[in-house]
Amino acid sequence: MLSLQHISKYYQVGGNKNYVINDISLNVDEGEFVSIMGPSGSGKSTLLNIIGMLDEPTNGYHYFVDQPVHQLKEKQRSALYKQYIGFVFQAYHLIDELTVAENIETPLIYQDVKGSERKAMVADMLDRFQIVGKKDLFPAQLSGGQQQLVGIARALIAKPKLILADEPTGNLNSKQGEEIMELFRKLNKEDGVTIIQVTHSEKNAEYGSRIINLLDGKIESIKNL
Amino acid sequence: MLKNYIKIAWRNILRHKAYSLINISGLTVGIAACLLIFVILQFETSYNKFNANYKNIYHIISEQKRDGNIDYNPGVSVPALEGFRLDMPQVKFAAVNSSYGSQFTILNNGESVSASDKKFIEPLGVMFTEPQFFDIFTTKWLSGDKNVLAQPNMVVLSKATADKYFGDWKQANGKSIKIDNAITLRVAGVIEDMPSNTDIPLKVLVSYITWKNAGELYGYTNEWGSLSSNHQIFALLPANMSKDAFQKQIDIFTKKATENKTNSTRIHIVQPLGELHFDTRIGNTLGDHLTSKATLKTLGFIAILIILMASINFINLSTAQSVGRSKEVGIRKVLGSTRSQLIAQVLGETMLVILFSILLALALAKIALPHLKNIASVPDDIALLSVGTVLFLVTTFVVVVLLSGIYPALVVSGFKPVLALKNKITAASIGGIPLRRALVVAQFAIAQLLIIGTIVAVNQMNFVNEADLGFNKEAVMILPGYTDSISLSKMESFKANLLQNPNIKSVSFASDAPSSDNNSGSNFYFNNSMKDPDFNTFLKFGDNDYFKTFGLKLVAGKGFAKSDTVNQFVVNETFIHKLGIKRAEDAIGKTMKLGSAKTFSPIVGVVKDFKTNSLRDEVKPIAISSRKALLSQTAVKIETKGLSNTAKAVQSLWEKTYPEYAYNGYFLDETIAQFYKQENQLALVYKLFAFIAVFISCLGLYGLVSYMAVQRTKEVGVRKVLGASVLNIVLLFSKEFMILIGISFLLAIPIAWYMMNQWLQNFVYRIPLTAGVFILAMATSIIIAWLTVGYKATKAALVNPVKSLRSE
Repeated sequence: MLSLQHISKYYQVGGNKNYVINDISLNVDEGEFVSIMGPSGSGKSTLLNIIGMLDEPTNGYHYFVDQPVHQLKEKQRSALYKQYIGFVFQAYHLIDELTVAENIETPLIYQDVKGSERKAMVADMLDRFQIVGKKDLFPAQLSGGQQQLVGIARALIAKPKLILADEPTGNLNSKQGEEIMELFRKLNKEDGVTIIQVTHSEKNAEYGSRIINLLDGKIESIKNL
Repeated sequence: MLKNYIKIAWRNILRHKAYSLINISGLTVGIAACLLIFVILQFETSYNKFNANYKNIYHIISEQKRDGNIDYNPGVSVPALEGFRLDMPQVKFAAVNSSYGSQFTILNNGESVSASDKKFIEPLGVMFTEPQFFDIFTTKWLSGDKNVLAQPNMVVLSKATADKYFGDWKQANGKSIKIDNAITLRVAGVIEDMPSNTDIPLKVLVSYITWKNAGELYGYTNEWGSLSSNHQIFALLPANMSKDAFQKQIDIFTKKATENKTNSTRIHIVQPLGELHFDTRIGNTLGDHLTSKATLKTLGFIAILIILMASINFINLSTAQSVGRSKEVGIRKVLGSTRSQLIAQVLGETMLVILFSILLALALAKIALPHLKNIASVPDDIALLSVGTVLFLVTTFVVVVLLSGIYPALVVSGFKPVLALKNKITAASIGGIPLRRALVVAQFAIAQLLIIGTIVAVNQMNFVNEADLGFNKEAVMILPGYTDSISLSKMESFKANLLQNPNIKSVSFASDAPSSDNNSGSNFYFNNSMKDPDFNTFLKFGDNDYFKTFGLKLVAGKGFAKSDTVNQFVVNETFIHKLGIKRAEDAIGKTMKLGSAKTFSPIVGVVKDFKTNSLRDEVKPIAISSRKALLSQTAVKIETKGLSNTAKAVQSLWEKTYPEYAYNGYFLDETIAQFYKQENQLALVYKLFAFIAVFISCLGLYGLVSYMAVQRTKEVGVRKVLGASVLNIVLLFSKEFMILIGISFLLAIPIAWYMMNQWLQNFVYRIPLTAGVFILAMATSIIIAWLTVGYKATKAALVNPVKSLRSE
């Protein structure tokens, strides 16, 4: 599904190159559940952002569903990830001014889905996550776990092939975290959604089928489960 | 998608109430002010355009050159009319002779006027005119037709005048009215009322032939030597004739006709009807005012400045606010929004706010509309909404959206999603701080410009209103009267009766007050010489109490003795200086005679110079003498104590003495104030708009400082931990603004100096433009800025550093 070849990202600081990502190559197949681990500053989030096309590598080759991302223009890239990728964040990143239902609906607006169809899809999603009763609340009125649930619902509404999750349970207590991870597992197994998550937690990492350990911008080890 | 944007926009407005309030109120005030200025400009520029032949109508004015002096006169001598017609048969000409302040008496019993007859004084709109006038100008006849004006003693009334005189215009036809209790006229027609944007108001139209037949009563003289601004000629060109061709034919005619007939070189200038309302050379039109293009330009300029300031506020606040919205923008980008969709969203919000402001501005303008007549010569019932104003609002909407929406939209949509999500968007990273500073400088420069304008205009008008005119204008009543034989015969007893009242100090009959807009003058001969000096003297006539009543000071000799005819003169200092006489005493005993007079009369006194016209003009050479037949006004000097009671007593005595005339008295200082109506209006405009400008720039400053306070929370926290006091912090904030104000001041000075110096050139007597004015303006804006900044800065300085540093 995606392939990174010799990807590097560095910042020029004085005369030195300060590497965040240092020559990483990585392939992910459709249906995989990959966990990326590593200490702070090892480049996990940057790697995830590069995969999600929110960030650009300084050099290297990046293919996604057989398209050479490194050659695409911003507009094409944006069209590509709009179609295939859903994001889940540690800090949920819901739009404070919108209600639960409106937050979930937003990606559909940008994909030019018709109003009536959007309503139906949002209703489905609310149902599936059992948050129908909360649809008119604003994010500030929800608990962290509920907010992350909305965040995942929003990431899934456009039926992405790939979910990128940046420490999805980082702000949650262990019970809430477990529920979210179960949800990911279910999505991966039953719906065949490819998932790449960044996590600090050994336990959460083991929900995946492969664990990649980063250190100082390089892949230190890969463990297949 | 649109619904989603509007929803977000609305929620954003509500969430950031303070910002929204600043944004909306600044824009609302700005747009309302511009809208009202637009209404004024639209009205002033619409003058005379309702005439169907507007583009082909010309007004002919006279230019006289004599010894290097050029005088312009809106009138044309009487013989020109028939001459024009003979020489240019393809052009339609028509003359009007206007009469100001004529009285009309509605006759009930035959020809004679009785005290019970209704009497009306018409300050404007009384014209002696010909049927041909209506071939040129557009008028709708409700009854009768233009041909009735070919016969003598016929009068045509406008509908409103007819309603006023007879209750209903339908009753008017065939009724008799008397003009100035001298000529009986028969009402032979009624025309539709003129719109208010005309320079040729038609209220009472008397046939031209009536004027001719009346002879001297209304100053009819069929001679080139006589030139009155009352007698004006209009022309309608055939469609194929150009202005230049017309001017050429007029020139040929004028040269042929006037050579050796006048003592000056006479030229006739053709003036397109479209320029009539703005030609300040001719002093006045037949209507109530003319407007200088410069004034209209100043107004337009102010309007543009105001709208710019409001837009600047918007840009400043929106970009500042956008930092707080970076997260939302980041999320939207991640969720698949394209840059253009984000631009559309931000622009959409801007549009919503601006639309809201425009609606509020409309309401505000509606409330302010009745007061508009205080700053401009617009009619009381001027309309706010018209095709023009709607177009103006639409244009304003588009311009303001573009001016104030594009930049913030580009900034916001350009956020990098990764940075935005990590809250790494700061004021520094979006850049534009120099831009915002420049905008604040621009705002303050505009505000200071207007503050300086206000100080100068207000000072000059105070100077004008309190200037020593060389005579006493306080508590002097002027009673305009008539010079028919019956009125003249009652003069002495009227004066004696007035003086019975202990509160009346002095009474004088006069042609006009020392300061007036009367410009009657004549050539003259001095000291038995048969050659006239190279200047004309201006004339005033009064009785022997003229000097006492107006408090004029004689520097040599004495006032003239009581006389019904010209046999002694008093002249002013300018008069003798122009003749080269240095000592006033030397003039006493010299003789002079006016243009057509037969004998020379001695100069018995020299009066200290007084302001003969408004302070815009130089003091003119004046000769004062006595000639009973010209003393139409009664001047009454009264005690200031019990002023209004005495004024009432004067009125009732006047009405008892002259029952056949309507009372029309006024206080002299009021008419002198009228000289400066347009200047006083402009001073008020400056005051008003300086206030608005200061208000808007304070909003902008407040917005900017609150934004800075948020941005510098951490810095303030660190400084406080390191021991900075609240005052230190407030000074830290203020320092930057003081620098900005300093820069804006440097920008404002030269422009303000240039503008106000130009304006002061209108006055011969004017205040100097001193540094004090500029320092005062600077001090004012600094104080205002301090008050604005102080509150926010203090609040920021008072925050507990533990709180502001915790998030780091």
